[in-house]
Amino acid sequence: MKFLVSRYNPESDASPYMQAFDVEVSRGMMLRDALLEIKRQDESFAFRHSCGEGVCGSDGVNVNGTNKLACITPISELKEPIEIRPFPGRPIIRDLVVDMTQFYQQYKAVKPWLVRNDPMPEQEILQSPQDRDKLDGLYECIMCGCCSTACPSFWWNPEKFHGPQALLTAWRFLADSRDQATDERLDALEGPYKLFRCHTIMNCVEVCPKGLNPTKAIGHIKNLMLKNAV
Amino acid sequence: MSRKASGLKAWALQRLTAIYIGLFSLYLLLVLLFAAPGGYIEWKAWLGGSLVSVAMLLYVLSVLMHAWIGVRDVLIDYIHPIAIRAALLGVVGLSLVAMGLWAAQALILVRLA
Repeated sequence: MKFLVSRYNPESDASPYMQAFDVEVSRGMMLRDALLEIKRQDESFAFRHSCGEGVCGSDGVNVNGTNKLACITPISELKEPIEIRPFPGRPIIRDLVVDMTQFYQQYKAVKPWLVRNDPMPEQEILQSPQDRDKLDGLYECIMCGCCSTACPSFWWNPEKFHGPQALLTAWRFLADSRDQATDERLDALEGPYKLFRCHTIMNCVEVCPKGLNPTKAIGHIKNLMLKNAV
Repeated sequence: MSRKASGLKAWALQRLTAIYIGLFSLYLLLVLLFAAPGGYIEWKAWLGGSLVSVAMLLYVLSVLMHAWIGVRDVLIDYIHPIAIRAALLGVVGLSLVAMGLWAAQALILVRLA
């Protein structure tokens, strides 16, 4: 099967180019297996991967124009020639390896931890099963970056717009009954950039390999903001 | 619009004006389809009515505000050099104000005539 893979070595190449590889495909083969085979053919080829089963979120790449996790993408689902590029909008370090610094900075900016003003209890902070259910569809994010790097608003303003991943996380803590910083979190999201660059394009929903819905989470944040403002 | 209020306020206003624009556009369409004023005199009488003229003024204002928020969003997204963005925002803002004043003038003249 024919693969076209984006190659770029900043030390020797003026710009990225596509290189063709021929990979013998076997039944049940995932895209990550093909990338490993390409690496066997040309050891200078660089890409990130680790767990190989859609848990670590390392091997997000752009396949035939869509961001996917290579390890859980069956080759059989892809149209030949399979074009593999790094995540769009991110600075390329080498081949498919991109610089995700801004993505992590935006994650950090939403304070992705529980904030408690009350003194900590002796043991755990209790939560009802109903309140726990509110975190479903939020906590599962593995931070692969497929969503944020598919988001046009994040392409245009990655230093100011939080992006779908960080906003999903922001809602994950706003929705948590144990968190006590709702007002501070909402205040921090005000202004035209951090939250309101989202124009409900929904690329994030389309590409999320875990089937999560950042757009819906962003809608919840906006509604809560409005509720607290009027 | 203050820096702090320009997120939620703009977003909410965009949705609020959209609802009014939608409803009044529907009303306008129905009037034009089923009860269109026959001539200039009838048209003036219709538009000069106190309810219609105020509703129309609110409609124009809503369209202008909606347009301002939308264009501002596009400029924030795509135009990053601050001088160019400010200049474009200025041109758009002044144009919208001019259109609003023009529409208000027309409505006032219809009321007075």
